[in-house]
Amino acid sequence: MIEVNYKHKFNNFLLDASFTMPKSGITVLFGPSGSGKSSVLNLMSGLRSEKTNENKSKFILNNRVIDDSDNGIKLAPWFRNIAYVFQDHRLFPHMTTGENILFGYKRCNSKLKPEDLIKKFKIKELLGHYPEQLSGGQKQRVSMVRALLSQPELLILDEPLAALDFRSRQELLPYIENIHKELDIPMIYVSHDIKEVLRLADYILIMDKGKIVDQGEIADLCISQPLLTQQEGASFILEARVTEIIEEDKLVQLDCGENILITAENMQLNTKIRVLIHARDVSLCLSPPQDSSILNCVPICIDELQIDENGKLRVIAKIGKQTIVSLISHRSARQLNIGKGKHMYAQFKATAMIK
Amino acid sequence: MIELSPILVTLKLASITTFILLLIGTPLAWWLSNTSSKSKVFIESIVALPLVLPPTVLGFYLLLALSPDGFIGHLWSYISTTPLSFSFTGLVIGSVIYSMPFVVQPLQASFEMVGKPLQQAAHTLGANSFDTFKNIVLPLSKRGFLVAITLGFAHTVGEFGVVLMIGGNIPEVTQVLSIIIYDHVEVLEYTQAHYYSIGLLIFSFIVLFVTYSLNRKLMVRI
Repeated sequence: MIEVNYKHKFNNFLLDASFTMPKSGITVLFGPSGSGKSSVLNLMSGLRSEKTNENKSKFILNNRVIDDSDNGIKLAPWFRNIAYVFQDHRLFPHMTTGENILFGYKRCNSKLKPEDLIKKFKIKELLGHYPEQLSGGQKQRVSMVRALLSQPELLILDEPLAALDFRSRQELLPYIENIHKELDIPMIYVSHDIKEVLRLADYILIMDKGKIVDQGEIADLCISQPLLTQQEGASFILEARVTEIIEEDKLVQLDCGENILITAENMQLNTKIRVLIHARDVSLCLSPPQDSSILNCVPICIDELQIDENGKLRVIAKIGKQTIVSLISHRSARQLNIGKGKHMYAQFKATAMIK
Repeated sequence: MIELSPILVTLKLASITTFILLLIGTPLAWWLSNTSSKSKVFIESIVALPLVLPPTVLGFYLLLALSPDGFIGHLWSYISTTPLSFSFTGLVIGSVIYSMPFVVQPLQASFEMVGKPLQQAAHTLGANSFDTFKNIVLPLSKRGFLVAITLGFAHTVGEFGVVLMIGGNIPEVTQVLSIIIYDHVEVLEYTQAHYYSIGLLIFSFIVLFVTYSLNRKLMVRI
């Protein structure tokens, strides 16, 4: 486990970030700008030094104490073994790509093989180039290889795609996904793009006004976190596999325990994806309607009823093994006689956010 | 007739002064470019003083400080028995102070231009402060060093007021080019004054020309 606890006062801003994160996979740090994400990362990487006694720090990375203000421990950034991929690539302009990627490798007793990563990130033909000769996406790819080759115990990615155009972003995402499939390095990924979150996150930390307000598996968190989805009310995520591509209708069929149809393009058969659906887009009925424009109608089993902050009824149900949420009025609930264990049908449109 | 000794004394003085200035100026400029200490502005102002102060004022106080009873002269008496005033060593001390801003300021500016972000990146890749300075900051400050060396050297060659006050005009020891030109003009030996002057003019131009062309080449690489 990675344990982090920082209580710091910066001018007018109080940072009180306390969280644990799993030591594998991608942990997304999500929050509006100004919520303190960068401050946390700077403290974790040791790039920000604060001298006051009031500030409390505790950071334990795989049983190694990195920061412990109570015992006067504060490792210098170069002893932390935490690599950082910055939004602005920060490649060294006087070094070639090859020299850049070996900078950390030479200094960190890395056991990784540079050739492997050069191949995986397809940068072989760039090795002799200087950073100014590379495109934005290439720079960020090189910067990732450079960070990874230092064989860090933790990799911080601070909005690495934010400065790139849409195409470069789409190009880079698979590389990031592959890092954690192939190398066992835990990552903190900062983003405020929900699509990136859906696609990458295994675990998620939500930050607001200097505090970690929620944390957990992304599928569990979505239900009660409007901050995450930027939408009022609850949302939920279905993990699914692409089973059919219906090109003429621009639809894909997904298997999420039941077969559903979603509007999507550029999908590949058999890939695993996540679909984000807003609870207010889901309606419930007792039997499948015969003449509805809504394409999806799946059998569900009611699991729990909650009352949300606006007084609406939140119905939590199971679709196969996954959770589905619907927001309905009390009146509808009475009319349909909804209760725990009841078998019903959930209807939702094919428009949902994918990945 | 042209004497060779003033040329040699001048070149020797400028070379030694520039070398010492690099030794002192580099850490000083590094500190200035990194510190958030309140004393920064104070030190910056002191370093920049020779830019605005008449050389005679600086020379006058140096004369006092270098004399056997003065602050520096007194300290010097523990190391050596020969007095500092009207000596080549005294001249070097004066020149170092006088040319200080011409070395420190370009270095500071170029260190600041390298900036924190690249240094932070180096730190997260396992490079400590010295390693980062040597392998990131220094190579990226090549232009700053080139400018600092040229200006420090050229400014020392062109020094007059301070040398006049503390040098003593001793042939082969402290008699530099700018002084000997003055001497010749004073006794109306314009031909000799011309020889030295035109030499100095051409030399200064060549130094600056070479520097600026090199600088442009460096600019492409950096």
